[in-house]
Amino acid sequence: MSLESPESGQETFTHNVEFELNGSPERHCVPTSATVLDLLRNSCGKQGVRASCERSVCGACTVLVDDLPVAACSTFAFDIEGARVETVEGLAAQDGTLSAQQQAFSECGGFQCGFCTSGMLMLTTGLLRQNPQPNREEIRDWISSNTCRCTGYEMILESVERAAELAGAKQQDQASE
Amino acid sequence: MALTRHHPKAVIAAGCSDLVAQFREGLEPEVLISLQRIKELREISNEAGILRIGSLVSHTEGSRSPEILSSVPALAAAWGSIATVRIRYRGTLGGNLLARRYRYEMPVILSALGAQMQFEGGDIAVLPVSSLWDRDSLWDRTLGNVGILTAVTVDTASLLWFGYERSMRPLSTVSLAVRKNTAGLTVSAVCGSEYRQPFVLSHTAEATDIAELDPAFVGEVLAAQLPDEAGDYAGSIDYRRHLVGVLCRRLLAEATGTQRKG
Repeated sequence: MSLESPESGQETFTHNVEFELNGSPERHCVPTSATVLDLLRNSCGKQGVRASCERSVCGACTVLVDDLPVAACSTFAFDIEGARVETVEGLAAQDGTLSAQQQAFSECGGFQCGFCTSGMLMLTTGLLRQNPQPNREEIRDWISSNTCRCTGYEMILESVERAAELAGAKQQDQASE
Repeated sequence: MALTRHHPKAVIAAGCSDLVAQFREGLEPEVLISLQRIKELREISNEAGILRIGSLVSHTEGSRSPEILSSVPALAAAWGSIATVRIRYRGTLGGNLLARRYRYEMPVILSALGAQMQFEGGDIAVLPVSSLWDRDSLWDRTLGNVGILTAVTVDTASLLWFGYERSMRPLSTVSLAVRKNTAGLTVSAVCGSEYRQPFVLSHTAEATDIAELDPAFVGEVLAAQLPDEAGDYAGSIDYRRHLVGVLCRRLLAEATGTQRKG
């Protein structure tokens, strides 16, 4: 069932939703039953937000809403009114420079088919904002909410640890400048 | 409250994690009332031995609440262990309870604690969490007219110990509380699983101190109360009784060894 497309003849209630997406303002009119996943992929063109289980289980659709990881497939679009939303498309700098998380996943091979990677990157971003130096147990707790079909997770765990190192070094560089 | 009275069949929305799933399963409400911005429903207090938790408290908020950590720390720990990080930030206490899904864990955790659901705006004011699974209960007869779940309360004054075992999930989880009363000590255990409704088990012992409880004996007594219908395709009733006995014994060993609340 598509939450976004009611059957013909069925009345549809809509909402105007204003929010910030990767630093830019957005305004869209959506059906009440539309999810954040529908909104981001179909109206905002953010295909990096993966549609997979659509039951908030697999983690592929993870985005950050006001810094917290959220399953875009299981959050109503009307609920992000006034919120700050971040997707994987917002991680790299405008000149294409990869973020610490993206650099780390690239260095450590924290991906194979890549389908889960955008969700993993957003989880990593959310985790490092709350805890810049997470231990293995904390990383495992966060990453366990995102299913990878290819790896044994070891390289993903190493990627998150490396991302913490790179982000920490970057902050030190900025502080010393 | 006025909105719910005007739209008695409205679906109440909070974190919406489960509600989206219900939409996908065919739920088509005419009216949806979102409680998200009612701050009062996010409050947690502990006064005169009654822990009161607002229905909009998220799993993360509940697991980090100073009031819960200081009064029933094992409840905070159990709450913080369920679901995943994404759901814990988004999912609410009220949604977890009123979804009435067997596999959800807060009904199991809170039933052993004797928690009460507080409602406003409907025909009833209070229902025990354990009544969520009563087949011919007041709950089922009044479903659709219960108003809004505002909070859950837990009597912490008589609570001696509480613990939660989920290491054998999804087959069996056990939540266990020990309370002191005039008859002695009452051990309340609730057995949950992915496939069957939670079952409430209870045993009262003529004891004055928690250390007097025999974990193996009480564990067996509790597990023996599991009805035959508790068995499922993943585990026969004999196996589930054995498993629940082991989990109860494990919790009680911890309880009698530490003798501390929470």
